[in-house]
Amino acid sequence: MDSSFEQVIVGSDEFPGDAELSLLETLDHVLNRGLVIAGEITISVADVDLIFVGLNVLVSSVETAHEVLRERQQQSLPTSELAERPGD
Amino acid sequence: MSESVPITSEQNKYPSGDGYYVYCIAETISAEEIVVDSIPAAIEEGADLELITRDKLTAIASRVPMSIFGEEALAERLSNAAWTAIRAMRHEQVVEHFAKQTSVVPLRFGTIYLDRSGVEQMLSDQKEQLTAIIVKLQGREEWGVNVYCDRDALLENITSVSARLREMAAAAKQASPGESYLRQKKIDALRADEAKVEIERAIGEIERKLTARSDGVTKLRILTVETTEHGDLKAKFAFLVLKVEFEHFRFAAEELARQMETAGIRIELTGPWPAYNFAAP
Repeated sequence: MDSSFEQVIVGSDEFPGDAELSLLETLDHVLNRGLVIAGEITISVADVDLIFVGLNVLVSSVETAHEVLRERQQQSLPTSELAERPGD
Repeated sequence: MSESVPITSEQNKYPSGDGYYVYCIAETISAEEIVVDSIPAAIEEGADLELITRDKLTAIASRVPMSIFGEEALAERLSNAAWTAIRAMRHEQVVEHFAKQTSVVPLRFGTIYLDRSGVEQMLSDQKEQLTAIIVKLQGREEWGVNVYCDRDALLENITSVSARLREMAAAAKQASPGESYLRQKKIDALRADEAKVEIERAIGEIERKLTARSDGVTKLRILTVETTEHGDLKAKFAFLVLKVEFEHFRFAAEELARQMETAGIRIELTGPWPAYNFAAP
């Protein structure tokens, strides 16, 4: 059934049906939105637009999308485990 | 024999030392509680997450090498889409980790300070604005609404969808054969225009009805034309929704989708997101 309404949960551990959409929306949020506080390094808005357009093309390459989405599946480390990691 | 080591442009380009990459800002009490349980992976392998606190506000940050995140080095890396996409995903993971449990101010990608004191200074300077945003976003989340239109489906049904064309069709039926033929021709000529009108009307209705169920709305510009299996992307919104009210919001969206199905309109909800689109003071 082709529904006219679709709810894509992107913020949870479940993998949404449309992985490409999830990736694009994440990129849009992180690269284009969010508060801009003038840190000591800044990225120009024009640059980000170009990056984002480029990413749209890139994301249609399924391989790359999967590579990036694998990052999404990284589990959070319980703090107790962190304490046992070798020091820097 | 003395050998002087020329300072190459490489060395200027890639400064040594570390800086601090900041993901988001939250209330200190909440941030400290959250990291007791678990800490997400940082933006760069080998980096850790740190809390940089100034009074009631805490920046969630990572110490990162300036050889990667210095201004020029970063600009170069950003031209590599895969590199950028992976860092963006990691940034999002961190923000979501905190946003799930407390109100955060999500920062845009690429906020970097040369040292901790810079971050602390920012928290002090921006204290009022940051606190106001945290309060504004408390108990709320962002939901994206994408509106698509299947143009073929719309055109097929437009004579029944458009009130104006419905009237004209009714009048054409009443007329004599010759007259009726001419009226029908006129209807056909207007279909494309009416389709446009209908799309705009539908988008307006979606915006109005969902705004009534939310705490804030922003219409987003569409950067690239997107054609999917659902049709063309016609409008994109971000809504700020109280978590406890989300079911009402979703119900309203579902209802709109049902009503607009014949018009080939499809509504897609994405989220929940940390409120990136509502993070401005």
